Amino acid sequence: MLLRRIYQFLIIYCLGVGLLFLLKYALGLSDYVIPSPAEIGRTAARDAGPYVLAVLNTLAVAVLGHLLSIGLATAVAILGRLTAWIGSFIRTAAYNIQAYPIVAVAPIIFILLGDGLSSRLLIAAMICYFPLLLSFIGIFSEPVADIEHFYHATRRMTWRLEVKIRAFENIHKISTVLVGSATMAVVGTIVAEFIAATAGIGYSIRIALYQSDLAKILVALFLIGVGTSLYLVSLEGLGNAFQARLKRN
Amino acid sequence: MEAHQLSFRYPNAAGELFCNVSFALPESGFHALFGPSGVGKTTLARMLTGELRGFSGEISLNGGRRALYTYNLERLPGWSTVRRHIEETAPPATRAQAEELLSEFGMEGCVDARFNRLSMGQQNRANLVRYLLQEFDLLIMDESLANVDELTRERIILKIKALFPERCFLYISHNVAEVARFCDRILVLRGASKSPQVVSVQGADLAAQGVAPPPERLERAMLEIVHAA
Repeated sequence: MLLRRIYQFLIIYCLGVGLLFLLKYALGLSDYVIPSPAEIGRTAARDAGPYVLAVLNTLAVAVLGHLLSIGLATAVAILGRLTAWIGSFIRTAAYNIQAYPIVAVAPIIFILLGDGLSSRLLIAAMICYFPLLLSFIGIFSEPVADIEHFYHATRRMTWRLEVKIRAFENIHKISTVLVGSATMAVVGTIVAEFIAATAGIGYSIRIALYQSDLAKILVALFLIGVGTSLYLVSLEGLGNAFQARLKRN
Repeated sequence: MEAHQLSFRYPNAAGELFCNVSFALPESGFHALFGPSGVGKTTLARMLTGELRGFSGEISLNGGRRALYTYNLERLPGWSTVRRHIEETAPPATRAQAEELLSEFGMEGCVDARFNRLSMGQQNRANLVRYLLQEFDLLIMDESLANVDELTRERIILKIKALFPERCFLYISHNVAEVARFCDRILVLRGASKSPQVVSVQGADLAAQGVAPPPERLERAMLEIVHAA
């Protein structure tokens, strides 16, 4: 699984870099615009260390933000599954807010909270929160009539049991949504760092952009790709192990 | 149980599904609800147990007795084995009865498996066992023995009749010979264009230790059912 994800990323990365080199040599662009392969190699050797630390920093914030939004989305979706007005209100609000690009709100968060950890964490959580919430509301609001009927008929149904049944029956869907939203959490963190933070790989890319140093940006992109692949593979592994444990007899 | 002048129409449906349907069932015994597909057997069953409302007319169960409805597509949660699920949902006093039912229903070999590992017939039997262990006065079994072989089905029906003589069962099935042989009263449900919409037929009501009914009695019951339907 890990190798497959890394391969996929490497193919896309090499295609992208290959296209850049094609443009460079076809149009005769200078090393200042698109660096030579040797220059990229030298930059990688020089900056890979600090960049790896920056990627780890970004991933740590992304994971925290992701966990935060999973917890919040689960709690709100459990409330949102209610047929009462509060459930209807939460569902409508989530659909409407989800349609708004959360990144556009990021500057306000930096103005209010500063450029520290809390802003990065909040933006990472917000970016992946609404897709998670909508998926969870859909899952927790959909009755599994063939299983739930017995508990309703015998008056044994509780909200905990209802959530457990619906989560169990949709475990594959939940696992897919979690992996999908993990990418969004990483993207959100990098965007936040790129806008105003003072740490993380997004911040490093911003500095490289000010220096017009494409070699640094390419090295950063490579490390982001590898780091994100590792995180997604870990999540998929956890999801598969959990599903296998549930299905084991 | 008595039903008086029941009328019901699904929203946006062209016509009424039931029009002034009335019938009565004894307090106990193994009875059947028979009729062609789509005539409204499941709808009527859900109305009788209070799962479906919005109809006119009256349904009375003597002394507010408890009615349950089970159907053949029901599933047990997949997170535990059949045995564990039954232990968790059956009243403690019915533990011995649970073992007896599982054994009689031919489930000994698969109670420690999870529900999704069972065949469809085993799934239906496991589902029926957990309902039989609940407190009820009327149990409506909607195709509950579908996908179960004939001999096992016979054993199960006779066991139910022997173990719960004081309770009332309404068995929904499309098998004319089966309902005619094992059931006491057979309510034949017909389309809304026919009147009366429910016709009650006397079945052979074969009991576990009873003498097999004379063939002509069985034949007569089957003919009456087919004629009424």
